[in-house]
Amino acid sequence: MKKRMVAGVLSMGMTLSLLFTGCGGGPGESENGSRELLNVSYDPTREFYVTYNELFSEYWKEKTGEEIRITQSHGGSGSQARSVIEGNEADVVTLALAHDIMAIEDAGLIENGWMEELEKNSAPYTSTIVFLVRKGNEKGIQDWDDLVKEGVEVITPNPKTSGGACWNFLAAWAYEQKQNGGDEEATKAFMKKLYENVLVLDSGARGATNTFVENRQGDVLIAWENEAYLSMEQYPGEYEMVTPSISILAEPSVAVVDSNAKEHGTEELAKAYLEYLYSADAQRLAGENYYRPSDEEIQKEFSQQFNFDMELVTMDDFGGWKEAYDTYFDDGGVFDQIYDCKNNE
Amino acid sequence: MYVEMRHVNKTFDGFHASRDVSFAIKKGHMAALLGPSGSGKTTILRMIAGLDQPDSGDILIDEVRVNDLRASKRGIGFVFQNYALFRYMTVADNIAFGLEVQKKSKAEIKARVEELLELISMKELGKRYPHQLSGGQRQRVAFARALAPRPQILLLDEPFAAIDAKVRQELRTWLKEMIGRVGITSIFVTHDQEEAMEIADRIILINQGKVEQIGTPAEICSCPETEFAADFIDARRFEALMSMK
Amino acid sequence: MAKKKERTYEKDVIGDGIHSIRKVIEPPKEPSNHRMKYALIGMSALFLILMLVLPLIVVISNALRDGWNTYVGAILDEYTIKALKLTVAATLCAVVVNTIFGIFASYLLSKFYFRGRQLLATLIDIPFSISPVIAGLLFILTFGNVGWMGEFLKSNGIKIVFAVPGVILATIFVTLPFVFRELFPVMNSQGKDEEEAAALMGAGGFTIFRKITFPHIKWALMYGVILCTARAMGEFGAVSVISGHLRGKTITLPLHVEILYNEFHTTAAFAVSSLLVILAVLILIARNIVEWKRK
Repeated sequence: MKKRMVAGVLSMGMTLSLLFTGCGGGPGESENGSRELLNVSYDPTREFYVTYNELFSEYWKEKTGEEIRITQSHGGSGSQARSVIEGNEADVVTLALAHDIMAIEDAGLIENGWMEELEKNSAPYTSTIVFLVRKGNEKGIQDWDDLVKEGVEVITPNPKTSGGACWNFLAAWAYEQKQNGGDEEATKAFMKKLYENVLVLDSGARGATNTFVENRQGDVLIAWENEAYLSMEQYPGEYEMVTPSISILAEPSVAVVDSNAKEHGTEELAKAYLEYLYSADAQRLAGENYYRPSDEEIQKEFSQQFNFDMELVTMDDFGGWKEAYDTYFDDGGVFDQIYDCKNNE
Repeated sequence: MYVEMRHVNKTFDGFHASRDVSFAIKKGHMAALLGPSGSGKTTILRMIAGLDQPDSGDILIDEVRVNDLRASKRGIGFVFQNYALFRYMTVADNIAFGLEVQKKSKAEIKARVEELLELISMKELGKRYPHQLSGGQRQRVAFARALAPRPQILLLDEPFAAIDAKVRQELRTWLKEMIGRVGITSIFVTHDQEEAMEIADRIILINQGKVEQIGTPAEICSCPETEFAADFIDARRFEALMSMK
Repeated sequence: MAKKKERTYEKDVIGDGIHSIRKVIEPPKEPSNHRMKYALIGMSALFLILMLVLPLIVVISNALRDGWNTYVGAILDEYTIKALKLTVAATLCAVVVNTIFGIFASYLLSKFYFRGRQLLATLIDIPFSISPVIAGLLFILTFGNVGWMGEFLKSNGIKIVFAVPGVILATIFVTLPFVFRELFPVMNSQGKDEEEAAALMGAGGFTIFRKITFPHIKWALMYGVILCTARAMGEFGAVSVISGHLRGKTITLPLHVEILYNEFHTTAAFAVSSLLVILAVLILIARNIVEWKRK
């Protein structure tokens, strides 16, 4: 008799816990019934999208009269892409590199041809990779070859999880390839040395910035240009930016996650959200947040701020993201080779 | 016959606790289940109470088969080896518990509790908690608690095991007298032959789950039927006991 | 006449690792080596100051670095309030579910003997030994889109991972053993005689629980609930993995602290941390009251 009671209440407890867990709603609609948009983004865009979301909400309300709510999510670009694949119901993704969006496309959540859907390869703003050093630049860091010197401690995130880290890697690679005239083995040796100098390998760009800026680890941070500017703004007079002779044109891509948007009934909203990134107001906002506007006219307004004379290689020089990722970052790729070697020593 | 077991068998995880146990006890008698420790005495007691179920065989109370009757419906009072007093209840609440469960009226419960406290000469101690009592007092409370709902049968599991040797004798006499006064059929488990001889009308000698012999103390002593009975019972001590009486 | 407060040896014998530390309160019988004693006291004090007191002071002083108004502003921020609400909700769910679960599991395991009893006890302990991050990943692999139950959940419109249910589920998971751990030894030491005695007198299961079992486990239960609350509020790893970092939706206080910190709002991060510290201190006080009452 007691046993039966125990079994009964045990199952009651389980039902109760299911009830508890079943009561949360997903994105798509919020508590007051207004539509909701989930933007899953990468690490350093936090500040930019906070202001852009306000801008867009106002614009959308003026245009349609509809109040919308926009939820943000930030983390390492690669991990963010994975979370979308695993069920994080993003309506739009604004990630650090095209490859991460391709991964979502491969999972069947984004339709083919997303890159052509918006202007400029679906990259409404660009950036590049620079160095951030502490005031005075004690180690005299000017270019990539200064990073492999003995005793220089480098902070950069892990390319396996961070988009920014991939750009960092490729920029360094492009520099050394050019220096030694395309000798791949020599470049690998250079990269190995560079990563031997890495003190902390964070999982996202913002984590790396924090390690360098707030926890004061390392001599140099290989950073997004926007991240470097932001750090200097947050800690005025404490940091200096160094632009290397060669860097890379980083194109953070954006796309509508078609299957989620369809399910939430937010397709046209999501599309409008991304298209509005190309408007003059939004482009200016991007510039103010230290992203390079892709609109040439607006670019001119920021000619004081950005060094447009830097030599920038593009992804085309690497044969596009698919090829580049397979070569350098996939399991067993160049990064694994050089980082494994380091561990084996 | 009042309490009867017919060919009862019981195993626990392959251990044979009862083998073809059969015996009967008359109404108003006081029987002792006597045997060395681990011989299966307590199991028999628990099966009569309904706390354990026999694998086969029948248990009868007042000519009715009770195998499928719930423990609480068998009209049994049980005194556990360590008394199992409800430690978060006062003595009075302990005694009242069985009556409350039966939804008796407040007045009736109060009267019965007082009557029993009187019986066990603990009238002043009704508000105490079990941990504030001596071992002998606890045993008396356990006895009163078992009697409170007016059971037909009283079962006692090693009622003196947890008590100082000094007061054991005294309590034994007390218990025998009490049971006699209440006039209830009772069965108690013991491993102490002296105890069994002194209190019981009937001894059921148990060894390795089997009934070795049933009889009055004198019968068991004077003519042991099995080798075990002869071995286990120390006749000289019995004689000494008898002469004391 | 001795009253209720009288201590008896019976109540002090609990005998598992967690509780035996309470015996420290008893003064040692023999005079001890004084130099040794003071050296040890000094070391412990130094360690505690370094590892515990100092960081706490840092948290509080940093939180108030930019003045009281900034502090209040950070705490009354919309996202902080939302994070606080979710934290409270998740904690409540975890406490309710784990209390119910803990009571029944320890009742089952201490009063009944059945095959697989040991296995069940071990299973309940898994959340203790498994890293919370792994726990979060397990949930994603089970309930996520590419997961084992993903198809089924999606077709039925049930969202678990990257949503509030996931956060709650993860919190429940990591705090699962707490109440059980506290209750089991107490219930086990009680034995089942008292319950059997009550059942024999005709008491039903609920009456037995209310009158016999519950008074015995009351303080252990409270203690377990408090530990469970503390752990649930502070949970980071599992929740971080399963939350998807949706601001204002799946962010609990610890996650919110991380976000604030990552966004260079250091002061706000410390302010919100201080909120967690305050809650923790309240829990500590409650815990000590319970410990004292239990004696």
